[in-house]
Amino acid sequence: MNKNAHMIKVENVDKFFGDLHVLKNIDFEVIKGEVVCVIGPSGSGKSTLLRCLNHLERITSGKVYIDGEMVDYRVGDKDAMKIDGSKVTEMCSELGMVFQRFNLFPHKTALGNVTLAPMIVRKTDKQEAEKKGMELLKSVGLESKRDEYPARLSGGQQQRVAIARAMAMDPKILLFDEPTSALDPELVGEVLEVMKKLAFSGMTMMVVTHEMGFARDVADRVVFMDDGSVIEEGTPEEIFGNPKSKRLKEFLALTK
Amino acid sequence: MNLNMLLLLNEGGKLYQWLDSYVNMTKVSVFARGTLVTLELTLLSMLLGTVLGMLIALGRISRNKILKTVTWVYVWIFRGTPLLLQILIVYLAIPLMYMDFTGMPLRIDPFMAAIFALMLNTAAYLAEIFRAGILSIDKGQLEASKALGMSYTQAMTKVIIPQSVSRVIPPYSNEFIMILKDTSLTSVIGITELYREASRLASGTGDWRMVFIAAGVYLFLTTISTFVFSKVEKRTSRYL
Ligand SMILES: Nc1ncnc2c1ncn2[C@@H]1O[C@H](COP(=O)(O)OP(=O)(O)O)[C@@H](O)[C@H]1O
Ligand SMILES: [Mg+2]
Repeated sequence: MNKNAHMIKVENVDKFFGDLHVLKNIDFEVIKGEVVCVIGPSGSGKSTLLRCLNHLERITSGKVYIDGEMVDYRVGDKDAMKIDGSKVTEMCSELGMVFQRFNLFPHKTALGNVTLAPMIVRKTDKQEAEKKGMELLKSVGLESKRDEYPARLSGGQQQRVAIARAMAMDPKILLFDEPTSALDPELVGEVLEVMKKLAFSGMTMMVVTHEMGFARDVADRVVFMDDGSVIEEGTPEEIFGNPKSKRLKEFLALTK
Repeated sequence: MNLNMLLLLNEGGKLYQWLDSYVNMTKVSVFARGTLVTLELTLLSMLLGTVLGMLIALGRISRNKILKTVTWVYVWIFRGTPLLLQILIVYLAIPLMYMDFTGMPLRIDPFMAAIFALMLNTAAYLAEIFRAGILSIDKGQLEASKALGMSYTQAMTKVIIPQSVSRVIPPYSNEFIMILKDTSLTSVIGITELYREASRLASGTGDWRMVFIAAGVYLFLTTISTFVFSKVEKRTSRYL
């Protein structure tokens, strides 16, 4: 397969927290335009896997490539290669991330949240950043909330602002870590709707989720993780319709 | 009109006569002078101490072992010894040490020495206040900043520190008041600030009221400061 078609490529990645072996020899890839959903019981290492992609955590060994560029490379315990910090930051800004608890900047308005990073990281001028910011807020249905502070927005609105904020850096890939898990049930739909729209627009997405309906409808591929390993992956039909491993069957039975 | 006020204040004016019957006007101007010195000491040392304290706080939370240790030792020393002694060390011990080692005299202006000692002392306390403020911000804020491609410095200056301001103001206000009162300690190296002026007047004239007037002026200044800081706190936490 053409190497450049891999937006994310993870090779033999292990991650330890002290003695705790959290990721066990993970091999994993996401192709351009693909929507991959990661499912699995809590504590199985899903968040850690996402966080290793944009350096919120450092891997213990293995290799991580983003869009063909190596962003983390370690063999054994020692750094095999020093990675250029500024290059890593640059690569990481091409990975947007949406968090379970939104993590909006509370001291900035909705528009301020969306324009901050482009202005200080990319040095976009204010007018241009705001113009684009307004388009993004519009695309998540929140143009009327431009001047509201996060504390005055509902959870669903906050998460939609967070998606717009991630999009403002023109990421090549969007990572979602359980984006609807902290929401009241009636607010889940509006966020999933925005994510669906993004998926259909051709965005490359990696989504950790417990929303099996979303995974079934939107994912190109579903990955099941348990206890730090990828146990099974396949199309939604394969994963939900014809699970092979015992652990996946048990997991699906529990989530029904 | 203001003009009327001025006329009243003129020598021979009613207000002046009233004031003079109570405390004569030379005493008023002595108090005014002392108050100005106290304010100068407070504002300058707080301003410089804030900058130094912020740098020390950043050192305390950095991952660099050396920075961490050096700043920890700094805070340990300056919070663990009396301010009075620190003032003496800066003004007296350092020039004497310099003399011993180099054989040359070193003259330090007492006002400079006072500012310097107050600054060093308040920086240690402020560093702990700032550190606590920064650590009180949810870790998710730094993560979100990093995920958006910000550097550590950008995340600190644009995201973390602005949010910690409103949380830091109450303890900062406390420290400001402490320093305001502790400027009186600089009288030991001959600074004639409010306390020293009052004590000189009291012992010179035998008028016990001088001491209470000084207390009243301190109380007035600390009350105003508290009021101003609480206003600022409200303003900076508008978004919550
Ligand atoms: N910073 C950390 N320090 C120590 N252990 C951690 C840390 N982050 C996660 N873990 C542990 O790693 C395991 C995987 O966590 P996580 O990746 O959050 O799982 P998931 O997202 O699938 O629920 C869990 O056992 C968790 O307790
Ligand atoms: Mg998780």
